[in-house]
Amino acid sequence: MEIATKLRADAAALLGDGRVKLVIGYAARGARRVPVFISEAPKVEVLMWDATCRQNLAAYLSKPDLKTLRPVAIVASPPVMRSLVVLASEAQIEDGSVVILGLDESGYHGILDLGKTVELLNAVCKGQGLDREILGRLEQIRGMSPQERAAFWASEFAKCTRCYACRAACPACYCARCIVEKNVPQWISTAAAAHGNFAWNIIRAFHVAGRCTSCGACQAACPQGIPLMLLNVGVTESVETEFGIRAGFDPDAKPAIGSYSLEDKEDFIR
Amino acid sequence: MTLLKLSNLSDLAAALQAQGYRVVAPIQDDAVVRLRSWRPGDTVRIAALPVNSPKDFLFPRCEAIGRYVLDRDGFTSEDLPARAEKTVLLGIRPCDVAALAGLDSVFAWGYPDKFYGERRAATTIVSLVCPSADDDCFCTSVGGAPDSTVGADAMLRLCNGGTAMTFASMTEKGKALDAVFGQFSSPGEAAVDPVAEVPVLFNSEVVTDWCSKSFESTVWRTLGLACLGCGACAFMCPACHCFDIQDESTDAQVDRLRNWDSCGFSQFTLHASGHNPRPDQPARWRQRMMHKFRYFKERFGRVACTGCGRCGRLCPTGMAISDVCREIARAEEVR
Repeated sequence: MEIATKLRADAAALLGDGRVKLVIGYAARGARRVPVFISEAPKVEVLMWDATCRQNLAAYLSKPDLKTLRPVAIVASPPVMRSLVVLASEAQIEDGSVVILGLDESGYHGILDLGKTVELLNAVCKGQGLDREILGRLEQIRGMSPQERAAFWASEFAKCTRCYACRAACPACYCARCIVEKNVPQWISTAAAAHGNFAWNIIRAFHVAGRCTSCGACQAACPQGIPLMLLNVGVTESVETEFGIRAGFDPDAKPAIGSYSLEDKEDFIR
Repeated sequence: MTLLKLSNLSDLAAALQAQGYRVVAPIQDDAVVRLRSWRPGDTVRIAALPVNSPKDFLFPRCEAIGRYVLDRDGFTSEDLPARAEKTVLLGIRPCDVAALAGLDSVFAWGYPDKFYGERRAATTIVSLVCPSADDDCFCTSVGGAPDSTVGADAMLRLCNGGTAMTFASMTEKGKALDAVFGQFSSPGEAAVDPVAEVPVLFNSEVVTDWCSKSFESTVWRTLGLACLGCGACAFMCPACHCFDIQDESTDAQVDRLRNWDSCGFSQFTLHASGHNPRPDQPARWRQRMMHKFRYFKERFGRVACTGCGRCGRLCPTGMAISDVCREIARAEEVR
């Protein structure tokens, strides 16, 4: 209850004195938690937060309709904060254009700038390991023969209808024109069939390599229940092992795939 | 009265298969129940609402509808047959059956679409009186009912606490299954299970009327901001039917594909010139509502929504079309 009161007060103040044009937060609609977009101080009363508010609101920041509504305040728990740090490191957030209303299960942390957010994140969840259950399943999959592994993924990707909910829900998927929609030439088959589905799902996972914060938004969005986090966590683990990079903690970090160093390992080239 | 035990469902599916039917039923698939072709060993979960809809089997998400075989001098075009397997849709809910009537209208509109039409003609619908609804169900708000028999060839009804079912055939196609169902049924007392209770959430006439006069409403703006622009709602919707045509080629041939498409996608109406008549998500959300509740009704006499509730259950942001309709209807009634 206390979280909501403080959150609403800060949101109203930010809107009231024009520091932001919009507050993006959560509201309850029955048992559902839905995103709300508030542009007038008196309407902040719907804002709430509890541990069931799991949608990663950072995905909205790069939507064309919302990009024009900055400066914006965003209600952010640690998974959302990590996405914001990734967006900042990729120059998707101009200084001062995003105000963070930080909170987690321990309480409300107030209005934070990026620096304070990074401090908080490093204090609260830097040491957290990757999801043990997912790592366990990955171990099983890695233990399969190549044929078994191919069959496992073929059966999972066969469910994909190419609705692209995984992409739409992901804060790191913000390309103005996604490769899957480029058709001159067409790189990826548009057919929701084996060939194109493999290409799409692998390319999605690779494009967020070293940028994915394992927030789980893609898997939660998938209407078909494809275990996308197996791919994401597997790639995240590799990036961490090979490059020592964990996305979403350092706004000055160079992205693993978008940067080059003479010290990069080349032992895979034989 | 003859009863079919639920424990006999796999044997029934096998018997139908032996008669040359593809049996599509709600099947446990890892954590979800999915409509798919039954294979030996599959568990039919007749009472569960599947994550996907029967549209998948009549209007598949991707289908080659033509082919050009390339040679040195040009090409020859090839007609592709509709792959119309004799199919039983087993245990389909009345909301999903109702949606097929809309698809029937669309794919016969202007000219008969042979791919849909031949598959539809080869399909027998064995529906199930709906035993349970959740908070997202709203068939009764859009002209349906959990025990509607409209459009079904035969109807199943759970009885004796969900342990058995009655079978009643209504059409020629349904009666053709009498013998197989009879083979797995035995005489017994039937205490029919209650029908799902589905409260009426809104008056769909009011929603249609409101849509007819609200093209410029500010409501679209509010709705559009929350929409992430994915196609989950449209693809899982039993009534949505928009598609895209794509030619995909190799050195040897070009396949003309019909793929599902969604009015929620930013590229849905993007012109080659770069102009987009639906330039933002609010305009696309308006189209979604307008098509379902106004344009479709104007053309075919029914709304393109049957209250299955999948859009609400599966939307990554929880945007249920029933919530939108309810808010519109409530605002209209206050006026």
